[in-house]
Amino acid sequence: MVRIKTILIAVLALILGILAATYFLESEEKKVKKQFDLLSKWVSKDLGENPITMASKAKNIGTLFAESCELKVPVDSITATYTPAEVSSYAIRGRLQFSELALKFYDLTVEFPEKGTAQVVLTANLKGRSMNGELIDETREVQSVLNKIDQKWLFSAFEVVEVLEK
Amino acid sequence: MRSESKIRQFFFPSLTPRFLIRVSFVALGAYLCFGHVLIPIHIRGASMEPTYRDGTFNFCWRGSYLFSKPKRHDVVTVRFAGNRVMLLKRIVALEGEQVAFRNGRLMVEGKELEEPYVRLPCNWNLSPRQVDKGCLYVVGDNRSLPMETHYFGQTPVKRIVGVPLW
Repeated sequence: MVRIKTILIAVLALILGILAATYFLESEEKKVKKQFDLLSKWVSKDLGENPITMASKAKNIGTLFAESCELKVPVDSITATYTPAEVSSYAIRGRLQFSELALKFYDLTVEFPEKGTAQVVLTANLKGRSMNGELIDETREVQSVLNKIDQKWLFSAFEVVEVLEK
Repeated sequence: MRSESKIRQFFFPSLTPRFLIRVSFVALGAYLCFGHVLIPIHIRGASMEPTYRDGTFNFCWRGSYLFSKPKRHDVVTVRFAGNRVMLLKRIVALEGEQVAFRNGRLMVEGKELEEPYVRLPCNWNLSPRQVDKGCLYVVGDNRSLPMETHYFGQTPVKRIVGVPLW
């Protein structure tokens, strides 16, 4: 009985140790996912958000992007490149059109095709209410590329994947 | 007295190795069942109305296409990057077939398709297009929405996850 108890305690301690190690030692994958958490947090907008928070969030969004970030939406034949300043400016304009906005990411799969590059496939859901009261709820699959620049993972490309092609 | 102790034992079980093993098996079974075989789904949106109402609950049965191929008129779930968010649509055309909408009527291979499940008025017009190899053409049952806002089209068969349980 004592032996079983010792084994159980040892197994429990081992599990706790592994959990603590994975929690405290931030892997590269975790760092990449954290960038998406920040993007989601800063794009999202609560009802009655004050102008200071709005300006700070829009400015922060730009810090997540590399010097040039490519956006591709094949279904609408959109291919464009933006600087962090342009991203912040578009974020301000875009967020102003909504009274509430929530950007959520699901099913993130992170791969590292080469050192300093992360390729992420995910499902993005944008839900909100426009200033006219119109509800939006759009979900798309997105492929994103992040590059490690100065020890920070920065977004350098986004491509919307066409799941259903009319 | 004995039944009272049984009830107590049921709600406050002793943490014996046997009990822990039993709990582990139940947890593993539930994870495998509800994470991979019968995925719980919360239906959001009106694209499959009136067949599937907004806000209802169902399960995605993944075993449906283990021994058979998806057929026309089947309602299926289509995945994005993973299984957390999926689309619920109906298969209307198979690979190689020509599909079009003419004044709200769905034409497959130039003939009108009988669709008793479409109960809401539709006025869509879409020029004929051929379904690519390895793809299926899926549409929602609610065609009273404007065609531009309804998400439908061809999708690779590999994106089909399963069927709703009921």
